[in-house]
Amino acid sequence: MSAPVFPAAVPRRAVELGSETVLGGMFRDEAELTADVHVAPGTKFGFFTDTTLCIGCKACEVACKEWNVLPADNIGLTGNSYDNTGALSATTWRHVAFVEQVGGATTMQAFQSNWLMMSDVCKHCARAGCLEACPTGALFRTEYGTVVVQQDICNGCGYCVPACPFGVVELGIEDGHAHKCTLCYDRLKGGLEPACAKSCPTNSIQFAPLDELHERARDRVADLHSRGVESAYLYGVEGQDGSPGSTGGIGDLHAFFLLTDRPEVYNLPSRPTLPSRRVFPGLVRGLATMAGVALAAAVLFRAD
Amino acid sequence: MQRAPYGRRAVDVLGALPAQESPPTYYQRPALKASEWRWLIITYFFVGGLAGAAQCIAAVADVFGKRRDRQVVSIGRYLALAGALISPVCLIADLKTPSRWYNMLRVYRSTSAMNIGSWTLFAFGGLSGMTALGQMLDDLFDLPRARAISRLLGIPAALVGALLATYTGALISATATPLWATGYRLLPALFGASGTSTATAMISLFLHRMHASHASIRRVERLALVAGLLELILSQQLDRLWKQEQVSAPLDEPPLAMPYHVGATGLGILAPVSVHVLQLVTGRDFATASFLASLSALIGGYVQRAVIILAGKQSAERPTDYFRTSM
Repeated sequence: MSAPVFPAAVPRRAVELGSETVLGGMFRDEAELTADVHVAPGTKFGFFTDTTLCIGCKACEVACKEWNVLPADNIGLTGNSYDNTGALSATTWRHVAFVEQVGGATTMQAFQSNWLMMSDVCKHCARAGCLEACPTGALFRTEYGTVVVQQDICNGCGYCVPACPFGVVELGIEDGHAHKCTLCYDRLKGGLEPACAKSCPTNSIQFAPLDELHERARDRVADLHSRGVESAYLYGVEGQDGSPGSTGGIGDLHAFFLLTDRPEVYNLPSRPTLPSRRVFPGLVRGLATMAGVALAAAVLFRAD
Repeated sequence: MQRAPYGRRAVDVLGALPAQESPPTYYQRPALKASEWRWLIITYFFVGGLAGAAQCIAAVADVFGKRRDRQVVSIGRYLALAGALISPVCLIADLKTPSRWYNMLRVYRSTSAMNIGSWTLFAFGGLSGMTALGQMLDDLFDLPRARAISRLLGIPAALVGALLATYTGALISATATPLWATGYRLLPALFGASGTSTATAMISLFLHRMHASHASIRRVERLALVAGLLELILSQQLDRLWKQEQVSAPLDEPPLAMPYHVGATGLGILAPVSVHVLQLVTGRDFATASFLASLSALIGGYVQRAVIILAGKQSAERPTDYFRTSM
């Protein structure tokens, strides 16, 4: 009845290597072994974060910090459930949100003990507000379809920060450049699965080509619906009608989510819009105003 | 597909949120990051708007006013050059890595209002420099050829100046910040009108100081009246829009409510407009009142930019405002 939740139970190459007792030297294309994915340029890769599988262990946060050599931040308690990370920042590229639903506990559907947990990340939008706002070209689209800040070009103008409809990008106070998730650009270059996805113990974070993830995610939603979790839906898949998150010209989020409550509950906007769409309509009206002023001036200066 | 950027729509499986209900938030934590722009950017918005509009006024006065208004033309062109020199200093000083300022001119990206602005300022600087040089040669040595070159270059300089005075409105509109994003149709026009108000105020201050002809001052002040009235209409429309979209809280509450209403609207628009209307109706020139009106317009113009930037920073950190405008 139900479609398989996980890709292949054991990746093909892992089966091939299974008989070898000593794994000598370095692996080429390690992602084949860990995620059953062959990383090659020209394919759009992404994350599918299935929040119904998240257990809030924060392994993704730790793996991300370790691999990307990001310093610790916010050493303290926020009082917001188990979320002491708070938000994505220049030094936090994965953030696990915790939503405790205690009100009406007796009447609620017994599901995930009424805890919602979501590992948030840069969405690597098909049309990215940050990338389109960047005046230097430091933010660019990689050969894997992801959005990355080139640290040797960014001059810290900070325009990408308010331009992101998801509040992801931030300026680093230490080095004066913008920082955000790179979808482990360096690891992809070396054929490795991104650190967060590799470390995720429940496969809540899945890494694969975007098309494959979409298919997998739709199957998962159908499966959850058939099991009675009717609130499950996808956030950030453009598809035929466009799901929440992929609205207003943004298109597919290359890191998209399966949610079971309103996007706002997870601190995500329902219908974000692409900021750069607002440049032209405003400018035209502004220039028309200046033309009107110039006309008035011409009349005034001509008269005596 | 859908045209309007905003609306209260359904998440398919969850149904639409009732109109009277506020969207939920995540522990009231901000869903967006606020810009880090400070007084340097506020100053640039003010100076750039003034300089761009001054260049436009100078070109129009040169072409249509002939030699009669030559003081207006020369003040306008020198102001434009001064603005073109101050602006990049402010912008570069605001960068977190100023030594890489030249990367702004590394690419052309039509989706980036800031990139458009960088090229605009670059062109404006060059054209304003040449126009002002011609003007200076004419002022000092009375050279008709220099005057002709200035007049010719003044036209593209004015076109770029118009863009410089307005694009800053588009720059802040093309963000996710609710206050700025909702005002995207009006902000560039408002900044253009305000740039003209401040430019006319500055020009008329210099005209007074140089004891220019009353007729010249009067013409500039009539233009100030036109710009002031336009600014009044636009700011009222914008104010109504912000109330309607329920994003006006940062402007309605302390500490910004007072500078917004008294500074930007009162000093920046109502006071100078009243003085100019009084002069128009009575047909007399009030030297002191007109001096104060110009000063007031300049202060108000600066306060307006400051209030809009600072209110936007607060707006970005109000998750309900953002969720409400993106449903």
